[in-house]
Amino acid sequence: MTAVSVRNVSKVFNQGQSNQVDALSDVALEVKQGEFVSLIGPSGCGKSTLLRLIANLLEPTAGEVVVNGKTAAQARLDQDYGMAFQQAGLFDWRTVRKNIELPLELKGWDKVNRMARADEMLQLVQLPEFGDHYPWQLSGGMQQRIAIARALAAHPPLLLMDEPFGALDEMTREYMQGELLRICAATGTTVVFVTHSIPEAVYLSNRVVVMSPRPGRITKLIEVSLGAERSEDTRNRTSFFEAITAVREGLRGMHAAHVGLGNDDR
Amino acid sequence: MTPIIRRAAVRTAMFVVALALVAAVWETYKAVGPEDGGTILGVRILPRTSEYAMPHVWDMFSRFSRPEVRGSERTVLDAVTAGAWFSFRLSVAGFLLGALIGVGLAVLMARFKVVQRGVLPYLVVSQTVPLIALAPLVVSWGGRLEVGPFVWPRWLSASVLGAFLAFFPIAVGTLRGLAAAPAASVELMQSYAASWSKTLFKLRFPTAVPYMVPAFRLGASASVIGVVVAEISTGLKGGIGRLIIEYAREATGDPAKVYTAIFGAAILGLVMAGAVVAVDVVVMRNRPKEAVS
Repeated sequence: MTAVSVRNVSKVFNQGQSNQVDALSDVALEVKQGEFVSLIGPSGCGKSTLLRLIANLLEPTAGEVVVNGKTAAQARLDQDYGMAFQQAGLFDWRTVRKNIELPLELKGWDKVNRMARADEMLQLVQLPEFGDHYPWQLSGGMQQRIAIARALAAHPPLLLMDEPFGALDEMTREYMQGELLRICAATGTTVVFVTHSIPEAVYLSNRVVVMSPRPGRITKLIEVSLGAERSEDTRNRTSFFEAITAVREGLRGMHAAHVGLGNDDR
Repeated sequence: MTPIIRRAAVRTAMFVVALALVAAVWETYKAVGPEDGGTILGVRILPRTSEYAMPHVWDMFSRFSRPEVRGSERTVLDAVTAGAWFSFRLSVAGFLLGALIGVGLAVLMARFKVVQRGVLPYLVVSQTVPLIALAPLVVSWGGRLEVGPFVWPRWLSASVLGAFLAFFPIAVGTLRGLAAAPAASVELMQSYAASWSKTLFKLRFPTAVPYMVPAFRLGASASVIGVVVAEISTGLKGGIGRLIIEYAREATGDPAKVYTAIFGAAILGLVMAGAVVAVDVVVMRNRPKEAVS
């Protein structure tokens, strides 16, 4: 079963104006149920735009996006996905528990069910004793874990993440990657993950999507065969480094081609 | 809570010290300044320091405890308190009306860009109309305007003028606050398919609070000014504004008296602004400290 299907999608900003930007050009991508897919590429390659098209925060200029067998718009209305951003974006005036309950409130859940689900999510992200704290009393990594708990509170089948660990230090970042894999394994959630980091993409993903800019398009799909079980040891395995090399070459090839183009222009 | 109490204590002390300084400057000038003022080429550049022009600070305060008019049971303190209480109620009514209109306009402007472009310039222009010119017009509605059983009372005109001054800072501050929600939070609410009104109440208003509080504080003092000016310019009976003109007429014989009414008006403004600050402390108690100004 396909969780996300992006069919020949293009996105043009400011069409017909002098500042027209071809953010995405003829992009096609299929994400299977339960799969973890990373989008990687230099700034301006349209990876965040692609994520926002899947989330229906943007409308494609051409092509269509299907999420869980529905149009992206319908999937958004049904809250079929949860979303997490680089900034945790928790609401300062709500307790941690109330932050997690936000999507449930908007769905019209009653208080008892919301409480029960918030408890469940706090257990899932292993912060059960912080429910009554305020977000600004928590560290950056803890805030990001609460943001993930909020994104998953309504048990959406799909999780969309836009560089969620980009603002964290390296140690916290690796810890959070392990946590994310554990949470996804426990819930069976499909993930589309935008990142700048090659090791992060490789460690987390079943597949890495390499993208290139101007216009944004997919240049390579790389299967990562590290198996389902991944631990800190995985980071030392030869296959891990091989996958990193493959992604790096995918990115570099495109970079070389890009520099070459620049030279031709002169 | 202790740091809050300590900060409040420090602020109160600073306030008292500032007042004492003003009184000291007043008395010092009165002691050393020329009795008839200083004139250069017939133009008076230094104020007179005579008992009639500058009464002693202690005379102003002792005037509170003496009768309002000779042989009366009623002291000036009673009269000023009653006047301030009357004006306070009008100011609160004006403030609430102004807040309602201000927040309502801000929501409309935040919702519809067309409204913002069309209305905002007129709001700015509205504040350039002198209140003194407007006051007699609005007061003339008193007793003449009837909607069914509702007859426009004269005091309501003073409140309306308070609201006229109060709504503007509230509208502008609230509008800025409503627009201050971070883009990522707005996207988050979109991703939940939250309606505009849900986004307004769950995201935009809570983000706007730090912007709204200073605006409401300005609005509260502006409402007092509107009410007092309306009372003065129309002679509405019962309020502190009326006392100021009455006592000012007696200034030649009883120069300290008018200051008692002016103090009453000043305290009135402080109480109004202080009430808003108190609400702020309660509402913002769980926010990160740097967000509390």
